[in-house]
Amino acid sequence: MNNTLVIFRKELLDIRRNKFLLLLLTFTLLAVLVSILVSALDFRVKMDAYNKYVLALHSAGSTTVPAPPQLFPLQLLRGSIEYLEILGALFSIVLGYGMIAKEKQKATLGLIFTRPIGRYQFAAGKILALAWTWFLAVLTIFTIVTAVVAVIGNSPLHAIDLYRLLITAGLSWIYLLLWSALAMGLASYTRELGISLVASIVLWLSVVLILPQIGDTMDPDNQVPGGLFHSLQISKKNEVAVLANFAGFDKVRNGIEISSITKHYERSTFAYLGIKDKFNQMPVGFAFSGTLPNLLSLIFGSFGVILFAVLITTRKRLLRR
Amino acid sequence: MSIVLVTARQEIKSLRREKLAQALLVVFVGMVSVSSFIGWLTNKNVTAIWQKVKEQGLTTAPNPFANVPALYYLRNTIIYLVLIGALLAIVLGVTSIIRDRKAHTADLILTRPIDSRSYLLGKLMGIELWLAAILGFVTLISWASIALIIGKALAFGDSLRLVAFFSMSLIFLLGFVLLGMICALYSSRETNALLLPISLWSIITFVLPQLGTADHPVSLLNPVPALANQGGAFSILNSIFSPLSTSEQFKKAGSSILQNPDFTGSPTIGIIVLALALMVGTFVLLISKRDRLRRTLDE
Repeated sequence: MNNTLVIFRKELLDIRRNKFLLLLLTFTLLAVLVSILVSALDFRVKMDAYNKYVLALHSAGSTTVPAPPQLFPLQLLRGSIEYLEILGALFSIVLGYGMIAKEKQKATLGLIFTRPIGRYQFAAGKILALAWTWFLAVLTIFTIVTAVVAVIGNSPLHAIDLYRLLITAGLSWIYLLLWSALAMGLASYTRELGISLVASIVLWLSVVLILPQIGDTMDPDNQVPGGLFHSLQISKKNEVAVLANFAGFDKVRNGIEISSITKHYERSTFAYLGIKDKFNQMPVGFAFSGTLPNLLSLIFGSFGVILFAVLITTRKRLLRR
Repeated sequence: MSIVLVTARQEIKSLRREKLAQALLVVFVGMVSVSSFIGWLTNKNVTAIWQKVKEQGLTTAPNPFANVPALYYLRNTIIYLVLIGALLAIVLGVTSIIRDRKAHTADLILTRPIDSRSYLLGKLMGIELWLAAILGFVTLISWASIALIIGKALAFGDSLRLVAFFSMSLIFLLGFVLLGMICALYSSRETNALLLPISLWSIITFVLPQLGTADHPVSLLNPVPALANQGGAFSILNSIFSPLSTSEQFKKAGSSILQNPDFTGSPTIGIIVLALALMVGTFVLLISKRDRLRRTLDE
């Protein structure tokens, strides 16, 4: 059997035996599901409030019927995507780091490399195992998510919705694989395992939480509860015209946001799922063209990180003292 | 010298060598240092937008940032304490125990007539002093940043509020130090010891507040505390889960102390919750059997 496949199968066996990893994946799934349930409950509360309001209007003799709140089932996934962004990325680091850490800790590398293994076969086997594991994990998460949304969404999921979910699942797979490959590459690159874990966690903190938070904080519309322009009673058209005068500040703010790969993942998935109002109920092609730079950044970013992991995880680097 | 003080001194020495703690410390101090300027820059931009809108006759509303209190510029610091500070505290707690378990130091130390509770208390005290020094430094940086922004020294009352805020931050962070220490005592692997408290931190910071407010996880990174959703089961869920989320309680109490105009409320409940969490954590740590300190790690 090809050496890459041997390593791939051995890794899958290790992952299957790792109960803690299974616990982390279950935890991610639970967080994702709780978020959907909370969003559904929130919609029900809004609907109840609307019904009471309409009833009060009727009692007062008014014939005006305000527009009811509309439920778009895929929008219930907003919190779930954010959990995949934050927790998914963290647990991906654990998986990727563990791929190399266990070999270094158990001193099995010396034994493995007594065999005639090709320069990149060891890394390729590990990356394949990571890709397959995340494929199964994402498949499980999105299958359950689809079933839950179909049941509690109070409206049937159409073929186009399933297509949107499929694209989101694919993007999630790419995003999670990126973090695992990064942690694996860093664990191979550094002599001391501790340093690679430090670097991975600091990168996770900066890229996933801090950079998007700074970008959000600098957004003028986020400065006042309910939105700055709403509080100033400015229409959307005038808002765009006014903001055109502050393009420099927005460029800096946007630059900080898009320096985070997490933001590219978020913008793409929010567009395909219609979470962002601009893309809601619009064709998939519109979301694709509207977020093409984000999609390309995510794909090429992941490709680059995987390439880094493969090129760095070599016998020479792993066995150096 | 008592065993508590000796252990505390040794802990401070060891902390100076911890790489993850140092890396997080650099990020933490760096972010807190620039947070006032980010707040100032954003406020300046919003004021410029408001002026433009007013010039064009599109609004008669007053400038939302006219007469904001000086400490308003620190509102992002609350979030950096919840994000970076809490993770730093967890790492400090975990490494403090794991270091001993890996090197079997506890085996040697506990052959002496030493109470394991004094030993653990000494470690906690060492970390507390270390964190207090960092927060003291951060208080000075924040004071100087705001003084630079407003062009004059901070008023005495505001300076007192600043000190009160960072003192409360120490209580908040010590809760996470204890969480890290307890998880490290009860975990069989080093990776699990680090990941378990981080997972619990994510539950405390994102999941619990979401259950009571229906806010999305990323929205919870807003410095303004999330408001309870008053409809359906949310008010019940909020009254159950809100006191358990020390992060949200810290945000509320912090916003109140720093006089954030977007939040009205007293800091008392938040401070009580944080103090209770600290007491419960200390109690759980101190009732841990001394064998826990001597258990060999599986990896």
